[in-house]
Amino acid sequence: MAKDRRLIDRLRRGRSEIENHLIDGLVDGRISRRDFMRHGSVLGLSLPLLSATTGAAGFELLLPSPARAATGGTIRVGQIVPAGAIDPVKIADGGGITVLSQVAENLVLSAPDLTAQPLLALSWSPNADGSVWTFKLRQGVKFHSGKEMTADDVVATFDRLTDPENGSNSLSAFTGVLSKGGTRKVDDYTVEFHLDAPNGGFPYVVSTDNYNAVILPADYAGDFEKDMNGTGPFKMVKYVPKQGASFERNPDYWGGAPNLDRVEITFYEDYQPQILAMLGGQLDVIEQIPVLQGAALLSNPDVTIISTPSSAHQEVHMRTDMAPFTDKRVRQAVALTLDRPKLVEGLMRGKAQIGNDSPFMPAFPSTDTSVAQRQIDLAQAKQLLEAAGMADGFEVELTTEKYLEIPQYAQVIQNAVQAIGGNIKLNIMDQGAYYGDAVPGNSPWLDSTMGITDYGHRGVPNVFLQAPLLSTGTWNSAHFNNKEYDGLVTSFVASLDLESQKDTAGKIQRLLLDETPIIYGYFYDFLTATRKGVTGVEPTAMSHLFLQRASV
Amino acid sequence: MKRLLLSVATLWLLSVLIFAGARMLPGNVGRAMLGPFADARAVEQLNHELGTDRPLLEQYATWIGGFVTGDLGESYAYRAPVAPFLWTALLNSAKLALVAFLMVVPLGLLGGTIAALYRDRAADRILSALGLAATIVPEFVSGIILILIFGVWLRWFPISATAPEGAGLLTQVYHLILPAIPLVLVLFGYIARMARAGMIEALDADYTRTAVLKGLSYPRVIWRHVLRNALLPTISVIATQTVYLIGGLVVIEILFQYQGIGSLIYTAANKKDFPMLQAGILSIGILFTATTLIADLLYALLDPRIRHGGDE
Repeated sequence: MAKDRRLIDRLRRGRSEIENHLIDGLVDGRISRRDFMRHGSVLGLSLPLLSATTGAAGFELLLPSPARAATGGTIRVGQIVPAGAIDPVKIADGGGITVLSQVAENLVLSAPDLTAQPLLALSWSPNADGSVWTFKLRQGVKFHSGKEMTADDVVATFDRLTDPENGSNSLSAFTGVLSKGGTRKVDDYTVEFHLDAPNGGFPYVVSTDNYNAVILPADYAGDFEKDMNGTGPFKMVKYVPKQGASFERNPDYWGGAPNLDRVEITFYEDYQPQILAMLGGQLDVIEQIPVLQGAALLSNPDVTIISTPSSAHQEVHMRTDMAPFTDKRVRQAVALTLDRPKLVEGLMRGKAQIGNDSPFMPAFPSTDTSVAQRQIDLAQAKQLLEAAGMADGFEVELTTEKYLEIPQYAQVIQNAVQAIGGNIKLNIMDQGAYYGDAVPGNSPWLDSTMGITDYGHRGVPNVFLQAPLLSTGTWNSAHFNNKEYDGLVTSFVASLDLESQKDTAGKIQRLLLDETPIIYGYFYDFLTATRKGVTGVEPTAMSHLFLQRASV
Repeated sequence: MKRLLLSVATLWLLSVLIFAGARMLPGNVGRAMLGPFADARAVEQLNHELGTDRPLLEQYATWIGGFVTGDLGESYAYRAPVAPFLWTALLNSAKLALVAFLMVVPLGLLGGTIAALYRDRAADRILSALGLAATIVPEFVSGIILILIFGVWLRWFPISATAPEGAGLLTQVYHLILPAIPLVLVLFGYIARMARAGMIEALDADYTRTAVLKGLSYPRVIWRHVLRNALLPTISVIATQTVYLIGGLVVIEILFQYQGIGSLIYTAANKKDFPMLQAGILSIGILFTATTLIADLLYALLDPRIRHGGDE
């Protein structure tokens, strides 16, 4: 890009050192424009500034815009039935998130393009070491009850979620990041988060990625289903557990009243009935379709598939403390048998990105893309096995959950490993049985020698790097225990500046490729189906379904 | 009286078995609700709120004590009373079963009668083969085929069995026709076979020969003498299918997005929603016991031989 020094100087004025470092990185060409946008948004650089700096025109925001000509109508949405009561504090599944996203909102939107964008917060910025983050709130936002949202509601929301007494589902996301009392009101529209430890990705912790963290009134009493009192674009009209929910336009929505008159969500027990209902013209949107079951829709000319790239993936863990995987050469050999481009094309119908055996998918701005991609190499795999003293092959049981494409993925691995004499026995169980009590000793997920586990989308890789891989991680099914790795992750998470993040990421990526406790074969797209003619449906890979700009 | 006491004892035993069985499922309730990735403290807190950390005997006493006094408890998953869920589901299932019955009983009887009248001829063979073929096609296969033909292609029928809120009787029936057909297919062969056997027995009976010999017209013989006698065993077969029609329709309910008792039990078992699961299964148990009891009493009333035999 042309370097307009004067413009750059003007932009740099009044910015913090970290922010200016990012701007310099862009100017010097060390940081790509796209990475600059993504990382700048996390640091809280405002969007006008980001676009001014990059000269990008027409950057598409998922932000609610002032309402266009109201066209009205009702949109009919199909969705898997929420697993339990709709209580924002406890919700833990896609069905609940879809319902919640009609009526309530987070401070920050973790957008599909991996930028962090303002929702109920207008802007945010860290202190020098990233241990205190200050958030400026949007003014004039009203709950459906008519009361204005202020800092008191935000403080109450986060105190509620971080209090172990409340059994919040987001407790694991806040552990080591934010504790009760750490959220402080500065004035009515300013909140400070005093973190347990420096965290460069904190905006994501209060973003839609952490779906429980929607802002509720300070006096919320746990009875959300009664009126679903939030700040969202739609107001609840009726909610019938197990059956469905209907919503009407919120005329006072801060982003302008939505086009649609109504949203009707119908709950289904399974995907197939939703697909049939859409084919029969009875649904406008299916919030999520799995790629294999949804094949009938993928090629249907009357259906538009919204393919949202995501960091969701299926981790193939190998117990580093159990035979035959105690030797890392065996783990590497298994990883080398997979033909990943074929896997993405065949199993995932092209709706996925190839993985390189670390959680750093290529699209994360912090990913070091100079690290070479692991490719199928049977000769090397055989050599490695031989060197590990397993020239005659090995036997192992692969335990996994019956969910999405996982059983088929397990079969692909089973066949691939046969080429090097590996004999894998499959044990595919019901999801509940696979996770068990989710504590070591009582969970096939955490106890099995080899297994496959589904992980949902996150806007930054932090969660994937921590619980499943740290030696103290609670989801560490590979029983990976590597002090060097632990140290690298701690410094990655604390780091505010993109270049040092990238530098640490490169080290982590190389370390994980070498150790291979987990195979990351692909990161799969989140697929939403809409009937032809339906526009403006904006899903996230976390199961939010934003309909404020939709029309039918 | 003896029969009644026996029924109550059976139901009590069932309640113990359901309670114990549900709790023998691996995994704990709070974990099932919050998912594998929730913090252990949150799981513990939820278990405490739900009372699943209390001694089993105490939990059983609370539940069964509530149950006999009409309090079905609160759903773990929905944190709301079980009763409204259960009544809605039972009512929905009854509606679907009724529509299926209204279609299959006349069809089955007609088929069986025709087959018996044209015994061992082409019509009989075709009906028997069709009936058998329809019976062995699983509901989810016939259901999907029906949806694709009548819902997606021709668009004659709605795909969802759930009628819009406040819909009238006709609309409700209209929504239930498509989902009822797979059940009709499964039951048609069965009922037709029973009707055919009963008819043949009645046709061969002495009283039929007498009726024909005394000069009654053939249709009149069939209507007055044969059908009446042939129907009794068929009706008892139909009665035994009631519970299947009400409790065993998980697949149809899921395919046609219908809130019946089958899917209620299914999801409750999946989610470890014990109060819902227990209420669902026990209500099916009560229904089964009640239908059997009523059927036995009716038989006794209709047939003096059974009444006398029972008294001994």
